[in-house]
Amino acid sequence: MEEAQENADLTSQSINLGLNPQILVTGMNSAMARWSSVMLQDVPLLAKPGYVPSWKPMFGKVKTFGVNFPDSVEVLKPKVVEEKKAHEEPPKPKKVENEGEEAADKPKKPARIKPPADAITLEDRLFYMLQPPLNSWFSSQELVMPFEPFPYQYEGIAWLFSQKSAMLADGMGLGKTMQTITAIRLLLRAAQVRRILLVCPKPLIPNWQREFKFWAEEIPITTLEGDTARRNMLWSMDRAPVLLANYEVMVRDLGERPEEDLPKFDLVVLDEAQRIKNRDSRTSDAARSIPRKKSWALTGTPIENRPEEMASLFEFMGVVPERATPDLRQLKLLADVYVLRRTKDLVMKDMPPLLDREALLELSPAQKYAYETAEKHGTMQLDAMGEEITIQHVFELVMRLKQIANYDPVTGESVKLERLVADMEEIAASGEKAILFSQWTKTIDWLAERMPEQFGTLVYHGGVAHKDREPILKKFKEDPKSHLLLMSYGTGAVGLNLQFSHYVFLFDRWWNPAVEDQAINRAHRIGVKKQVICTKFICQGTVEERIDLVLKEKREMFNRVLGDGDDSSKSLSLNASEIFGLFDMKARHKEGVRKIQPKKEVA
Amino acid sequence: MATAATGKDIKLGFLTVIEMADRGFMGGLLVTTLTGRPLEFQCTTPVQPNKTQQILYGTTLGPFIKGELIAKTLLERVQIKPVAILVDQLDILGLRNHIETPVAVLKTDDTTGKPNDAEHAKRTHNRNELYALKAFSEDLAIIAEMLKGIPAEADLGEPLYRTNEALRETLKTAA
Repeated sequence: MEEAQENADLTSQSINLGLNPQILVTGMNSAMARWSSVMLQDVPLLAKPGYVPSWKPMFGKVKTFGVNFPDSVEVLKPKVVEEKKAHEEPPKPKKVENEGEEAADKPKKPARIKPPADAITLEDRLFYMLQPPLNSWFSSQELVMPFEPFPYQYEGIAWLFSQKSAMLADGMGLGKTMQTITAIRLLLRAAQVRRILLVCPKPLIPNWQREFKFWAEEIPITTLEGDTARRNMLWSMDRAPVLLANYEVMVRDLGERPEEDLPKFDLVVLDEAQRIKNRDSRTSDAARSIPRKKSWALTGTPIENRPEEMASLFEFMGVVPERATPDLRQLKLLADVYVLRRTKDLVMKDMPPLLDREALLELSPAQKYAYETAEKHGTMQLDAMGEEITIQHVFELVMRLKQIANYDPVTGESVKLERLVADMEEIAASGEKAILFSQWTKTIDWLAERMPEQFGTLVYHGGVAHKDREPILKKFKEDPKSHLLLMSYGTGAVGLNLQFSHYVFLFDRWWNPAVEDQAINRAHRIGVKKQVICTKFICQGTVEERIDLVLKEKREMFNRVLGDGDDSSKSLSLNASEIFGLFDMKARHKEGVRKIQPKKEVA
Repeated sequence: MATAATGKDIKLGFLTVIEMADRGFMGGLLVTTLTGRPLEFQCTTPVQPNKTQQILYGTTLGPFIKGELIAKTLLERVQIKPVAILVDQLDILGLRNHIETPVAVLKTDDTTGKPNDAEHAKRTHNRNELYALKAFSEDLAIIAEMLKGIPAEADLGEPLYRTNEALRETLKTAA
């Protein structure tokens, strides 16, 4: 309809354009030769021009990911300078002695905290990566260190800080205590832990107390001691950041508790962790039963006799399943991740040397007579026992002979005593200090009675009351008139810092050179300023000479097999065969004799 | 005008942006105490400009993405607000046009871009060279005042290194 209407409106009109078209016979149009007439006419556009952008400057919304760090724990302010001066001769000076001026000017490599291998989430990994390098942390006013740690110690602290399960197995004297305390300090500061249990052998409690006071004076230490009621109260104290207990207390107080009554900790540290090498022992059970988030083990001797001992430690650390028995290859793989071990040879290249000196002595006539008589009677008795002989019988004879080599109990003659007094006169005259180790407290007391007064001799062994031990060590360190400290291997060989004494005497020999090394390392450790001379007394022609020979052979053999780097991870104790071998013992057999051997091997 | 915070209130922001040929730009902001202890970290996902954006933004693309798009987003998202921001690239300085917090470039060996007198103001603090936009030259004095609590021998640029490493770790994890 509409279209029809539009058509109806259209009208046709003829317009004369003035054209006169002619068609030529040639087909050419004459109009082509004429100019066309051109006119202009306005033609309106259909619509107004619009601006249609084909692109807009738009970026998508930027997404973000974040990590928040827990609030730092408020701590005491560092003490004022006057108070610090009292520490200027610290129990454990860590000042870098051998760094020259050039080294001081050189910028130190930042000791960065790396995320642990078992940190899976990005948030966890970033938490560690974003921590400041330890050296800048320590140099800031926020965390004052009494002494600059060595680079390897920075590394150890950073490693411990990030580890949930860790075994710090540095060689003796490298500062496991300091590294542990500092890592604990950082974890407390970063609010990563709030409640820590540190378990150590009883004699080392004062040592830990002292070291905490020195390296982290702002951290209050609570020692588990007193009667049962008091200890129970202490175990339940939530606000004590660090609880210090000895192994016996841990077993007594926690060994029998039901699981739900056990105190919970963020971190449990076992010092001298080889104490739990036997996984069936009550100590191991008690240690494993404590609910905890992090587990650290400290030991200078991760393997005392057999590599399998490490499995028990790994079980405590929670890196192997219960009762697991990893083989050597698996132990090695676990050790790569969870064990940090550096030896003195590797990290302390500039440390003053340890001079080992064997004092080969001739028994005095009375000692010689007593010795030969005892040996003769002893071996005759053993021979007479024939097949009934046990390791215990031989052991008793060895002990008796060793005691005579120390001194003749009848006449009191002692070639070792004479030599000791001669050496000590020189040491005391030069104002130096010496420590002496013996296997027997009786020998130590005997020696103490015979030492000239000018040596200022002090005694430190298992028979000395615990409360008296610290004052003895303090007196030995501070009293210029005190030149000699007599110690037993059992009490004095571990954990003490006596690097101010530059002489060590091994009055008699221990069965295991690793224990002797521990004893020597009381003096030859970080902070020692001059060479340490260790004198080992060996009486010629006695069982001591034979023991020394066997131990040397064992050491050489292990060095050949395992290399020189890791000298304490070896079974160095004399076994039953070797103890029997100290004597050429034979039993009558039919018409002749035959060599006596132990019935079973005892490690 | 921004003023200098003091003592415990001083929370510094260390902001950097990394540029990857195949994945674009990614930024991170680490907020620390004056002693470098971390308080909060925020990072962005990668921002990849398309070809059109690259052509049309031309040389302004970098400053826009770094200073406005990424840095501004990070500042908005972070819960602990820094009182001063140190960056390692001149391109990020544009952030200051959008926020009230002082911003300065801490010149390090890795600093990109060349400062010029016409656009940038300079100040030396201990051994560190600081640059700000000329229009905000007073930021330098404010920041220098705040940094007084940091020992002269401290490496002021160290947190930027951490921020950078954290960004790369995040990328590695996301890859």
